[in-house]
Amino acid sequence: MTLLQVISLSKDFAGLHALESVSFSAERGKILGIIGPNGAGKTTLFNIISGIYLPTAGEILFQGKKILRMKAHRISHLGIGRTFQIVRPLNNLDVETNVLVAYGHRIYPSLWKSVRACRQREALQEVRGIMERTGLKAYSGTLAGNLPLGFKKRLEIARALALQPKLLLLDEPSGGLRYEESFQLMELIRMLRDQGIGILLIEHNMQVVMDLCERIVVLDHGIKIAEGVPEEIRSNPQVIEAYLGRETQHA
Amino acid sequence: MIWQQLANGISVGSVYALISLGLTMVYGILRILHVAHAGIYTLGAYVGLLSFRLVDNFWLSLFAGMVGAAVAGYLVERFLYTPILHLSRIAPLIASIGLFTAMEEAFRIVAGPHTLVYNARVGLGDLAIGSFRLTETQVLILLVSFLILLFLWLFLTRSRMGLAMRACALDLETASSFGVNVSAIIAMNFIIGSLMAGAAGVLIGVYDNQVWPTMGSIPAYKALAIVVLGGLGSIPGTVLASIIVGLSETFFIGVLSIPFPRDAVAFIAMILVLMFRPYGLLGKA
Repeated sequence: MTLLQVISLSKDFAGLHALESVSFSAERGKILGIIGPNGAGKTTLFNIISGIYLPTAGEILFQGKKILRMKAHRISHLGIGRTFQIVRPLNNLDVETNVLVAYGHRIYPSLWKSVRACRQREALQEVRGIMERTGLKAYSGTLAGNLPLGFKKRLEIARALALQPKLLLLDEPSGGLRYEESFQLMELIRMLRDQGIGILLIEHNMQVVMDLCERIVVLDHGIKIAEGVPEEIRSNPQVIEAYLGRETQHA
Repeated sequence: MIWQQLANGISVGSVYALISLGLTMVYGILRILHVAHAGIYTLGAYVGLLSFRLVDNFWLSLFAGMVGAAVAGYLVERFLYTPILHLSRIAPLIASIGLFTAMEEAFRIVAGPHTLVYNARVGLGDLAIGSFRLTETQVLILLVSFLILLFLWLFLTRSRMGLAMRACALDLETASSFGVNVSAIIAMNFIIGSLMAGAAGVLIGVYDNQVWPTMGSIPAYKALAIVVLGGLGSIPGTVLASIIVGLSETFFIGVLSIPFPRDAVAFIAMILVLMFRPYGLLGKA
């Protein structure tokens, strides 16, 4: 089932083409990898899907509905959760409260409801469930700013999960993590996929990408240069060139 | 004697807190200095006075002053700040100073340049225990500010919207990607801050028994000093700094009888604290 359709999306920043006519689609219960060298436009793509930037041209459909020009919080209400490449926990709040912020917004559509108590039993139950699934339970009272990096990354995911997302945008979840930490994180991502969540994964660690993703989209300088299953991507000469540079021709 | 001065200082300080908190909340979320907040405070006093003359009931006039200030605060946010927020931060600052001057002139033109009396019967009565004595307006100030601060604290720590406001003060973009309607929360900051400024305007109007067009000028810069002293954007810091400034003003002038301009105390305190704690009393780096 198609969850997200990105149709000839372009974005210019003062003459620089960050994205040029990029199209692809993502499905529920599948992990789609987005890879490419630095500056390929991956994070820009996430910022457009989540409503932070407006594209120069193109269209995005989420479950068949146009979401461009919607405000960021509306898009997240529809069920698109995201994490940031550089973790951005709300440092002065504890872990539980961080998740509660994201949870609350799904359940208070009206102004009147939003003045009611935030720590209701059902909300806390849900939040604790999410923390258990993401392995954060032991840290619930810790200030988010004091968590080790691996757990900050988990917190990013936990907050996105509190939105009960249908689609998750994960921006380098394993970046900066030790091997076993990133291994545990992969397990978590697989579990989320098996629950039927569609996942877009930006990742630099090729091992992680090849192991996790059903399909992969390769961007280079804002242009989609390849799309396919991991096997195809691994042997695609254009991809190898983008990553390693052109081979010198000997006469 | 000492208890008397303490009570005087705390009641002065609580009014400072009511004025400064709006400034702190706006700075906390938008990182702009809302100088025109002092204009909102004066507007609250005028609206309160006007409605007092119409209905002759102090509590209704307090309510009217708060609501009038809140509406004005919301309009300022929507039509002055929001359209220019994407510009460099100096633009909202200049716009704010301009608006403050314009408001003072408007008050002068509409209500006249002279001082108006706000001679309200509150109906609380003085409080006297031995030689310790609180006037009716002091009781009023302590009671109203305590209730407002208590309500603010409960709202920020217990309600869902309060939680959203704290999240927005920490990171607007993250908050919006987790479903917080950021523009509604920004508006809410202005509305709540202005409600408190309006209350402060009415309380001071009754306490000094006068309302005049430039009554906001001194609070405008004193609140700025208090907000910096407390640590920019820190709500508990602002309350603490307000009480400290209120107490030191009272003690310097009342107890030590030092011939010293009262309104300079806030700045001396600010300079002293910033020498040792550059981020203010409860501010963070």
